[in-house]
Amino acid sequence: MKKVGGVIVSHGQVANELLAAAETVVGDLSHITAVSIGWHDDVEIAKEEIARAIKHVSQGIGVLLMTDMFGGTPTNISAMFLKENEVEIVTGVNLPMVIKLASHSAETTLSELAKDVEEQGKQAIYRTGALLEPQKIKKDA
Amino acid sequence: MLEGSIKVTNPLGLHARAAAQLVKLANTFSSKITVKRPDTNVEADANSILGLLALAASTGTTLHLRVEGEDEQQAFDAVESIFKMGFGEI
Repeated sequence: MKKVGGVIVSHGQVANELLAAAETVVGDLSHITAVSIGWHDDVEIAKEEIARAIKHVSQGIGVLLMTDMFGGTPTNISAMFLKENEVEIVTGVNLPMVIKLASHSAETTLSELAKDVEEQGKQAIYRTGALLEPQKIKKDA
Repeated sequence: MLEGSIKVTNPLGLHARAAAQLVKLANTFSSKITVKRPDTNVEADANSILGLLALAASTGTTLHLRVEGEDEQQAFDAVESIFKMGFGEI
């Protein structure tokens, strides 16, 4: 079964650690890799590293780049690789997004998966206190 | 279709790795396995880690299990058992 590949791209070591955390939860993720861009790295070097990572995880049906922050260097460099049906980018990567990418089903196309991952990333953010509020009211009533 | 109540017994609740274990187990059956939290009405497919996490089921929470499919009896027993064993944490 072919899978959409994934590359997590971040400042510092965030990408590596996110991948490590996802692997602790779901097991080995050979179709996802991480590129950590050092604060003082040269843009050309970082670009080469991302190119290598894309090639490494690609199974021929597309690669999703997940970057840490819109507007940041990792995203801006990643944007150079954008190509319809081949490379998509979703910014603001969090652990649920990596898990979503890790557990997608075989039939999902790159663009569908990119949308799912974007959606999942947003949905998985909770102000936890707000979840408890209705219960508090129920108890008082 | 089989239905029943299950209780989260492991101290950490239905957390990420426990949810992953449940997904792995659910994927070994063809039946559709759904877990619902009756007090909040949140429902999750047992093959979705993120769905299961959204249940926010801490230890002691009672969940409603629904299994439907050819191997529903085996699936129901297996899921009930992994909850009873506290996902290997107790």
